[in-house]
Amino acid sequence: MRKPPALIALLGVFASLAALVPLGYLLFRLGAGADAALTELLRPRTLELLLNTTLLVVSVTATALVIGFLQAWLTTRTNLGFGAVFAVLSTLPLAIPSYVLAFSFTASFPWFSGFWASWLVMSLATSPYVFLAVSAALVRTDSSSEEVARTLGLSKWQVLVRVTWPQVRPAAAAASLLVALYTLSEFGAVAILRFDTFTRAIYNAYRLSFDRTAAAALAVVLVLLTLLVIWFERRYRGDYQVTRPASQKRVRILLGKTKPLAALGLLLVAFAGVGVPLYSLANWSIIGSSTADVSEIFEALVGSVTLAAVAGVVITVFAVAIALWVVRYPTGLGRMVDYSVWANHALPAIVVALALVFLGANLTPWLYQTTALLVLAYLILFLPNALGTMATPIAQVPKSLEDVANSLGVKGNRSIFKVVLPIAAPGILAGAALVSLTVLKELPATLLLRPTGTETLALRLWMATEELAFSQAAPYALLLVILGGLPALALNTQARKALSEVGN
Amino acid sequence: MFKPLAALTALVAALTLTGCASAEQEANPLPTESVEQKDSLVLYSGRSEDLIQPLIDMFTAETGIKVEVRYAGSAELAAQILEEGENSPADVFLSQDAGALGAVAKATLFEFVPTETLAKVDRIYSDLEGYWVGVSGRARILTYDPAKVTELPTSVFDLAEPKWKGRIAIAPTNASFQAFVTAMRVLEGNEVTSLWLSAMKENAVIFEKNGAILDAVDAGQVDAGLINHYYWHAKAKEVGAENMKAQLSAFAPGDLGNLVNVAGAGIVNDNSASRAFMDFLLSTSAQTYFAEQTAEYPLIPGISIIPGLTPLSEVKSPDIDLSNLDTLGETLELIRAAGLL
Repeated sequence: MRKPPALIALLGVFASLAALVPLGYLLFRLGAGADAALTELLRPRTLELLLNTTLLVVSVTATALVIGFLQAWLTTRTNLGFGAVFAVLSTLPLAIPSYVLAFSFTASFPWFSGFWASWLVMSLATSPYVFLAVSAALVRTDSSSEEVARTLGLSKWQVLVRVTWPQVRPAAAAASLLVALYTLSEFGAVAILRFDTFTRAIYNAYRLSFDRTAAAALAVVLVLLTLLVIWFERRYRGDYQVTRPASQKRVRILLGKTKPLAALGLLLVAFAGVGVPLYSLANWSIIGSSTADVSEIFEALVGSVTLAAVAGVVITVFAVAIALWVVRYPTGLGRMVDYSVWANHALPAIVVALALVFLGANLTPWLYQTTALLVLAYLILFLPNALGTMATPIAQVPKSLEDVANSLGVKGNRSIFKVVLPIAAPGILAGAALVSLTVLKELPATLLLRPTGTETLALRLWMATEELAFSQAAPYALLLVILGGLPALALNTQARKALSEVGN
Repeated sequence: MFKPLAALTALVAALTLTGCASAEQEANPLPTESVEQKDSLVLYSGRSEDLIQPLIDMFTAETGIKVEVRYAGSAELAAQILEEGENSPADVFLSQDAGALGAVAKATLFEFVPTETLAKVDRIYSDLEGYWVGVSGRARILTYDPAKVTELPTSVFDLAEPKWKGRIAIAPTNASFQAFVTAMRVLEGNEVTSLWLSAMKENAVIFEKNGAILDAVDAGQVDAGLINHYYWHAKAKEVGAENMKAQLSAFAPGDLGNLVNVAGAGIVNDNSASRAFMDFLLSTSAQTYFAEQTAEYPLIPGISIIPGLTPLSEVKSPDIDLSNLDTLGETLELIRAAGLL
């Protein structure tokens, strides 16, 4: 067993300690009112919330998995055509905050609410996670084993299930974990669509009764649920399949008669996930009379881009370190770091933010309401997003290549920089883009922790919708979508390039 | 910023007054000349930037005091102040509703508002203990679609009748709705309130916010809804009053459905700047601004309200502390028990 380099260990342990802050805060709050907490948990309502939440998480995860996998497979492995267009459309919902998506649906279809509404909106909002991870995995692996399977007489469907699926299973599982935890922690969309989950109850405890003990009690249940989900994912992820970097001729599967059907399916999903919100936004600009100030828009744009870029870089550095630790130097401590980082990923952002308010104002006033503390909050909130996307590409770099590099005179751990990171670079970039996108949309933590005066697009959008000033809100929402679309576009261009290089 | 002197004064005041506990005398902060002098201010504002920033500019032009404002939701800011505790950087907290102010007051993180500032506003619109002062008022009201509601209800209790099934929209998570239910409990008792809430469970369509209710009524999706009056005026400003399908109708004079709630402010860190700002909020210019910009009720005498609004004196408001969290807790219990939350 190799020991991890000091830098990796240092970054990993720091991230782990940071992740423990919200957990420590919750225990502190619970300790302050154990009786009240117990009463809160023993309500029949807690059970109802548990059932609702489980139902939503399971159904959304399954749906996002199916949608995202099919999108990825159709655009990278079949002769569907317009691959680039469909790929961008599949990624784009990522750029739309889920509360905007929910809001645009209720604005267009007033009857839209409850479980099925939440299921649809959350599935649309989260399937890009699966799409990105699975298409990246598909681009990295070559199709020779699939061809072999075909020549051995398996049907297209059998090849898909028995050969292609196992190759992308770890990536799909990691993405599903993100989807599940995203759904657990989502507040805005389920509140607008009026479906009661744990997170909504936690927000209500803060916002209605200002009851921090009850909120903490519910949040701890959420953490336990998270651990269960993570355990489940680790158990059923399957092994990483180390593959040769795709180097051979790639054969696309001919869809035949199902082609129009597949195209129609993708178009429908794109219509719901991108078309409806864009239509709604356009509508906002038309009906309203309020106008957004250009200099305010610019200020918010700069604020958003800066925060997303800084947080993107910081989180990527930590995520690469932890992924390397887990994959290349598997130690017990590394596993613990990995678990602790994931453990609070389902906590609603407001809990993490309040924990840092408590810590910042009372212990480190010099850090309070600074960009540094805000970035720390983003690190706690979104490190798992980066890890989930980067772990697979890093794990898929063949160990033998590193050995070759070592035998050729590259000393020890330098092979990480010379071999592992360059090969895994597309996956790492994908993770970085994903995290920056998520930071771009973030609202509750930004609201509580930003330096006074810092503006972001998401903040402005929220303020405008609170005031019912929809035409003022429209440009902010539109900019968010465009800004989010750019990394999505870049990611896909890169994937396309990789595909064309290996031939068609 | 823990201020021993202010804390000591509060303690002494509390001790001397426990015997002759008249709530009025409890509000007894330091005389103005002996508080810390400051020429800048940190304001936590639960009200929007569009609304508040012009006021701030007016204040700075008038007094030379610079203001740094954090804008966020009132409940979020209250939670933030609770976590910050004694170390809060905020000087003043301006809140959209009384509940958030009550939460901060209960944690004794507010300093007393100076008596002369409190005296500007009718007592029933401020904290009974003097921890915060009401700044502007808003009335509960019925918004309705004239095409579908021809016979207007005169009392909010009419909405419990079966003919309203599926036609009336409410927002049980909204602080103003809860304040209204609290008022109902105090005036009519828990039993009557529970019956009304159960009827609402049958009749009502549930929304998350006042704004969503108004949108739904305006879109013809629901026949009527219970909201705060100024939402209608805000939307009319955005889309034009002539384009509004939804109209407003107050209940009969004296009906509980017309309850008035307040937005208010409290002092987190007592100094000359925070006192000056509190006084400014209750000045003629600021009160006129609220009345004109948001169609809210000014709370100091002598300011005219927008046409068509029922004068405050004709609206029955129960003499209860709407920011009392223990009362709020009981209200939440009832709403929850009715299955509306």
